[in-house]
Amino acid sequence: MDIKPIQDEKRAFMTGNEVIVWGALAAGADIMYGYPITPQNEIMHYWTRLVPKYKKDFLQTEDEISAGFTTVGGVLAGKRAFTATAGPGNVLMQEALSMAEMMRLPTVVIVTQRGGPSTGTVIYSQQEVNLTCFGGNGEGLRIVYSTSSHQELFNYTIKAFNTAWKYRFPTFVLSDGYQSKMREPVTIYDPEEKGITIEPTESLLGLPGTPGVERDPAHLRNTYNLEDELYNVVKSSVKEYNSIISKIVEYDTYAVEDAKVLIIAHGVVSRAAKAAISSLREKGIKAGYFRPITLRPFPDEALRSLVDNVDHIVVAESAYGQLENIVKNNLYGFNIPIIGYLRPGMGITPEEITDFVKAELSL
Amino acid sequence: MGQNIKIVLAGEGGQGVQSIAEIISEAAYNSGFQSLYIPNFGVEQRGGVSVAFVQISDQSVDAPKFIIADIVIALSRRAIERVKPYIGEKTLLVYDSSVDDEVEKIYGKLGENRQLSIPALEMAQKEVHPRVFNIIILGVVVGVAELLEKKDVEQALERRLGHKFAQDSSLKNLNYRALELGYQLGQGK
Repeated sequence: MDIKPIQDEKRAFMTGNEVIVWGALAAGADIMYGYPITPQNEIMHYWTRLVPKYKKDFLQTEDEISAGFTTVGGVLAGKRAFTATAGPGNVLMQEALSMAEMMRLPTVVIVTQRGGPSTGTVIYSQQEVNLTCFGGNGEGLRIVYSTSSHQELFNYTIKAFNTAWKYRFPTFVLSDGYQSKMREPVTIYDPEEKGITIEPTESLLGLPGTPGVERDPAHLRNTYNLEDELYNVVKSSVKEYNSIISKIVEYDTYAVEDAKVLIIAHGVVSRAAKAAISSLREKGIKAGYFRPITLRPFPDEALRSLVDNVDHIVVAESAYGQLENIVKNNLYGFNIPIIGYLRPGMGITPEEITDFVKAELSL
Repeated sequence: MGQNIKIVLAGEGGQGVQSIAEIISEAAYNSGFQSLYIPNFGVEQRGGVSVAFVQISDQSVDAPKFIIADIVIALSRRAIERVKPYIGEKTLLVYDSSVDDEVEKIYGKLGENRQLSIPALEMAQKEVHPRVFNIIILGVVVGVAELLEKKDVEQALERRLGHKFAQDSSLKNLNYRALELGYQLGQGK
């Protein structure tokens, strides 16, 4: 049973969808549930091709509502379960993921963003930030990692399972169609060989002992009769979520020490933003960059600690202000102009960011 | 000065544009370069112009997409117009001689160092086989880009088509000849 999918380090040149499958295998995932949608299809294809050897399972459901709920069911059955989706599929999954949020289930969802709204394009966007962070009729008690490269796709797919099972909040790897379809080098490895602890998968129901006598009952509910019952449950989840933020938030910075212009980007756009910094600095513009890796929870303290000497903030994203709004919320009370380079569903190059910054700031 | 090359390939679905891009980017990766290949996989899957973006660099590659390419290879009439956004002042446009008139119509005269008309379609039909047209183009790209060793490309070709070569050894010969023909056309241009 315990055949290690990856032994030693292996360098490879593959697509992001393949990388995600290797990441899920390395993380010890038991089962994938899914319904086809571009650009995540090949995650299902590779998973089904690779995993019989490792005695893992797969279930193709009739739609994404079902894929979401079967993932919830898999977790309830004590399995390390995950699914992958995009665009309209992500919309349909929100009902199940709200349930996971309510019941504190460690579901893992890979989102490969495509253009929207609706069917939009099958290609690429960063328009599923709101939906992935705050979708559902709840408070967005989720953990969302936004990746920018194949190496991160591998690292954060592993991390997503560990975070989910450690803290019991629904966890997401927010990727995009570019990362899914592009090929670039990656090093895959066995996480335990790297000293990464694999958080155990545990049964949530049918535990040993008599409920109420030898142990507390596993009373997983998504329905409450009284408003104060619900209020107390949500309040306690919020409290727990807030208490783990400092352990979960991740971000990256570059050239921020003397920065007057701070460029903020997440995911694959952060690569273009980082490259733009160098060319802006060559032209004498003191630019720096901040990249939230966790979009939920957002690294608010880290961002606020950087902006004291910043004159302008530029948010670059392949959406119309979804990251920009998060940034504005987290900089409430600071009097710094924030401008957006907002390109819904469009890829962003370093040159475009450089030109935008120069033009907007008349530098 | 680091080495960094941006290539756009465009053609009709079935012309093998994505395969060429995949082989080149993999060959580059195997010879120690950083490389990134991304297909433009939108409606092209349904019969439009298929576009592939390849970046090869000795440093890590920034964004998956770019605007201005160093080399643009356009293999069909429709592709000639489709690649217009990627052509800058120094871009080399490579195209099949069968669409010379289209290039003239859309771009006028680009200048000797900026355009390369290659009789790949004719050559594939007369000298090798129409099915290895894309391998001739692969050779042209390798020759023009002057970044990769031919043997690394042959290895990448082997990895991709090795199972077919094993079934029919004449296929290997055909592909290698096509690669060489293309290479000769592109080299030094």
